[in-house]
This record gives sequence, structure tokens and C-alpha cells, in this order.
Amino acid sequence: MLDERELATRPIVQDSVQHNARTVSNIRALTASLFGVAAGTLGLESIPGFIFYALGTAVVSVLIFAFKAESEPKAYFYRPMADLWAGDMFGGLMSFVLTWTLFYNLAKA
Amino acid sequence: MAEAQQILRDPALFYWILLPITVVMVLTGILRHYLSTLLQSAPKRQPLAKLREQRSLLRSANLRTNYAQISASAFQKRREWLIENARDGKFLADPDARGKGKPNPMSDPAMMEGMMGMMKGNVAMMVPQSLIMGWINAFFSGYVIMKLPFPLTPQFKQMLQAGVGTRDLDVRWVSSLSWYFLTLFGLQPVYNFILGSNNAANQVTQQMAQSQMGANPMGGAEDPEKLFNAEAENLEVIEHYYILDGVEDRLLERFQGAI
Repeated sequence: MLDERELATRPIVQDSVQHNARTVSNIRALTASLFGVAAGTLGLESIPGFIFYALGTAVVSVLIFAFKAESEPKAYFYRPMADLWAGDMFGGLMSFVLTWTLFYNLAKA
Repeated sequence: MAEAQQILRDPALFYWILLPITVVMVLTGILRHYLSTLLQSAPKRQPLAKLREQRSLLRSANLRTNYAQISASAFQKRREWLIENARDGKFLADPDARGKGKPNPMSDPAMMEGMMGMMKGNVAMMVPQSLIMGWINAFFSGYVIMKLPFPLTPQFKQMLQAGVGTRDLDVRWVSSLSWYFLTLFGLQPVYNFILGSNNAANQVTQQMAQSQMGANPMGGAEDPEKLFNAEAENLEVIEHYYILDGVEDRLLERFQGAI
């Protein structure tokens, strides 16, 4: 009951939440594709490639935290841990694999 | 598995297979987006009584979620009025049908209309997909065109090397069908940038969204009288509080540090 009142006095606006989530997922998708280009051009294979992706997304998370959220994720995300740091970590994986494969083949062929 | 199986490939494979498939996939996504936009039938004009029934339900639901925004007396008035009318069945579109139970969804033309709309959407999804798969299978099967940068288990050999017919070839060498699958799953950001975020280009994400909603297509077939009774009961049990209760304290608390 107390939580409910807290939410009523400081409401969370659905539109803003959606907008923030969309911004994060757009950034992630774009960077994932670019990481795929880089990994393919470097000729990374199997495990190193996926490690490259994990490192890249971690760096992107830090960048979002520093620039987009202005080091105050509480103000932008309801649950900063889930929405900013871990959120959508694997959303860009398919596009990463796509561009990775494409550029790996273009570079090696 | 052999250390590094090398296969000499003609660079023309890229220009005549990889590129066309990619372009076709992107264009199909765009086509699918516009197709599903065009196929959406305009909402039908509904009779006044039916509309009143729906809006009254909506109104009571809104009161239930936003009751904190109005004062206690205002809430009390609205609640009494809504409960009384809901119990008497004044909002019902068809007061004569009270107590006859659930209508059959098949007999209602409006329901049929809704189901037709969904069918149209599904057809717009399925037809291009199967067409392209048939196209790829007809033109580009029987040879490998690319090497995946990561290993796969041999189970994928059946699917990704269909029609190649070499037993010992590494699974990493795959035919054009696998490129089709990669583009199918990986092109969502491309659509996002071309068509904006709310596009209907990728049927995979759409299916995911649908399964998450768990929407029941027959949801509208509930007996309206039962819905109103449930709504009235829900309204009755609400314990009202006003959002401005204690607002002075909260305000002072907020500016305490500033002094």
C-alpha cells in the first residue's frame, strides 16, 4: 500500500519509459552491427568473436551511463541495473552475427 | 575435423547470391511493413448502445486506477452512480439479453470481422516468407557460399548444407539458406532505421510480441452483464485516499535542505 502511494505521488510515465528503452535499444543495435563489422574485418573466430561482442557491449553500457544518463541512471531508469547495464545485452546479438559473418567472408574470401 | 578446410570460391558468388538475397530481404521487410499498414481495416462504426457499454466499462476502470487524483466526496459520488447503474444494467447495449449467458462468438459479425483482420495480418507475414524460401531453394541450393566464423554442432548440417552432399565437409561451410536465416533474424535494426521504430517489417519480433501479450482473440465475447457486476464489486472494495493528503508535509520535507 505504501508503495502504491509512492507511485501515485511520483508517477512513472509510460511514454518516457518507452522512449528511454527505445533509445537504449537503438544505440545497442547500431553499435552491435558496427562491432560485427569490426570483428569480421579483424577475422575473429568463434570464442574471441563473442568475447569481442561482450566487451563491446560493456563499453557501450559505460558510454550510455556516462553520456546519455549523465551518471545518474536513477533519473532515467526505474531499475538501472536491469534496464541500463544488463538490459538488451543480447538484443543486438543477431545483428552482430549477421554483419560479423558478412564481413568475415568478404575479408577472407 | 580437418584443421582448416579451404574451399576456393568464386568472388562472383557474393555479387550474384549474397547481395541479391540481402537486398531482397530488406525490400521484403519494407513491403511487409506497408502491406500490413494498408491491410489494416478502419475501425467500424458501432451502434450507440454498444459504444456506451464499452465506454462505461472503460470509465469505471479508469476511475479504479486514478481514484487518488480526486477528492473523497467526488470519488464517492462517481462510485455510487457507476455501481447503481451497473447493477441495474442501464449501460447494457441489449437489456433484453440479460441472463442469457455468453453469446456465441461465431454468430457475432463484429467478431468475425476482427478475426478476418488477424488472418490478413498473418497472411501478409507468411506469404512473402515462404515465397523467398522457395526462391532461394530453387535457385541457390546445392553449393556452399560462405563460411561461418563460429563452429556449429553437426545437427545443423542437415539444414544448413541441404543438397550439398559431402559427408566430411565442416559444418561451418553453409549454403545460401543459412544466410537467409541470418538476415531474417538480424535485419531488425536496419528496418528500425529505415522505417522508424514502430514498424511491422519483421514477423519474428511481431510473433514474439503477440505471444507476450497472450491476447485472447475471443476476449470480447464475455457476457457484458457479468463484466459490469465484477466492475461494480471492484469499485466497492476500493479504499480511497487522496493524493493531496499531506502534501504540505511532503513539500516542506523537499525544501528542508534548501534553507
